[in-house]
Amino acid sequence: MTDKPAYSEAFQELQEIVADIEDGQIDVDALSEKVKRAAELIRICKEKLQSTSEDVQQILRELEESGSGNEKQDG
Amino acid sequence: MPQHIFDKTVFSLSEVGRSIQKTLRNRYTSSYWIRAELNKLNYYGQSGHCFPELVEKEGDTVRAQMRAVLWKEDYAAINAKFIEVLKEPVKDGVKILLLGRISFDPIHGLSIRIMDIDPSFTLGDLEKEKQACIDTLVREGLFEKNKELSVPLLPRRIAVISAETSKGYADFTRIIDQNGSGYRLFHMLFPALLQGDQAAGSILNQLSRIRKVIHHFDLVAIIRGGGDDIGLACYNNIHLSRAVADFPLPAFTGIGHATNETVTEMVAHTNAITPTKLAETLIAYFRDYDNKVRDMAENINHASRQQLTQNRHLFISSVNQLRSGVNEQLARERSGLRESALRLKQESGYLVRHHKDHLIPHHILSLQTGTTYLLEVHHRQMTEKLSELSSGTKSLLRDNGRELKGLESSIEQLHPDNVLKRGYSITRHKGKALKSGQKIREGDLLETTLFDSVIQSKTTKTQKKKNHD
Repeated sequence: MTDKPAYSEAFQELQEIVADIEDGQIDVDALSEKVKRAAELIRICKEKLQSTSEDVQQILRELEESGSGNEKQDG
Repeated sequence: MPQHIFDKTVFSLSEVGRSIQKTLRNRYTSSYWIRAELNKLNYYGQSGHCFPELVEKEGDTVRAQMRAVLWKEDYAAINAKFIEVLKEPVKDGVKILLLGRISFDPIHGLSIRIMDIDPSFTLGDLEKEKQACIDTLVREGLFEKNKELSVPLLPRRIAVISAETSKGYADFTRIIDQNGSGYRLFHMLFPALLQGDQAAGSILNQLSRIRKVIHHFDLVAIIRGGGDDIGLACYNNIHLSRAVADFPLPAFTGIGHATNETVTEMVAHTNAITPTKLAETLIAYFRDYDNKVRDMAENINHASRQQLTQNRHLFISSVNQLRSGVNEQLARERSGLRESALRLKQESGYLVRHHKDHLIPHHILSLQTGTTYLLEVHHRQMTEKLSELSSGTKSLLRDNGRELKGLESSIEQLHPDNVLKRGYSITRHKGKALKSGQKIREGDLLETTLFDSVIQSKTTKTQKKKNHD
């Protein structure tokens, strides 16, 4: 399996920031930094909803490669 | 007719055949219910007749084997009943309870003519097999295995096992691709047969292909739909069920039927029932995620605004507290100063009135030191106050600084120079300020300091003050 996708981590970090801010645990000086970070995380999260980078051709190539490998083993 | 050749009675093969036929017909006069396994149906499409191969097995050992015939019309009627009761056509490998007649044909030999098959017997048998399949998976610890996999926050990459031309696949892709929220899911078809005898093998084959490129996918979806509820027994197949249960990605099923849940659907991570629901379930993950992100953004906005407001209130109330504290202190200082100044004025006025002619340096001096001291004390207090204030709020200081300046200038009025300005003077003899005139004799030189000048004078007469002995 691949590593945890970036958007999952972003989502989690976002949850933590929300919790911190809601708790009132962040002083005003840090607040602006946190809000800035949160905005960046929200952008990362939202982007993933509307984009995919998968390539059917690449997957088919990989399937063929592993297929021919098997044939060699069989022969 | 048997012939007699030499000393032997010789039968022709057809005579033997006819004899057997006659014997069997006499012996087996009616039809019988027979339990058997339908090893091969052997359906001939052209004629529409079947020539099934019946067996009875004990484990893997064949105990009996017989050919049968199933004429076109009987086959159609039986198949219809099967589909009604089992949702499956008559097919290879099922156990059947058949109504048959023993028949013998000189050409085709012995066979059982199947007149009827009781589908409920087969149903019970299939149910037993299904249960056995479930039991096996439970025993192997696989039954819940796929359900325990976690679906990624966004299941974005879907390996679809379906038939390209099926309505179910079309429904699925339409909902996924035109979701109306702009969510983009990647899906790739791994084409397979989805019903009938070949389906299990076909799906298994695609599952093993997906395994090879598994890092490209988040989830596998098995989609069928649009057909009738026939030929779904493959989803109770132990091999297929096991492969789905043991698959390393969450498997979602949308097989689309109204019959009992199959084992494959039971072991799947999520059985969405239909392809449409499956697609909606996936979109729901996106919507849910989208909403959560949106809620969080809103919460951050709200909570940080709230905190800023709170801080502002706190700041304002602190400033107000500071301001009123400072004002009180200033008022106190001011009235104290006024009082001192008033007393000073009164006392000096009194002094002036009573010592008009002989302002004794002693008084002047004590007045001078007193005033200086007073000034110093107040100046120090002011300085302290100022530095306290500057650590508090500078703007406030600016306001109040003006008031302080005012105060300072009123204190200024009390400086000895200013006292001299008002007409007082200091008289010195031999450089020492005179506090008493008793030692001054005629002809002594005196020095009188006024505000703007020093006067040298010679004593012509000294006289004791009446009220000052």
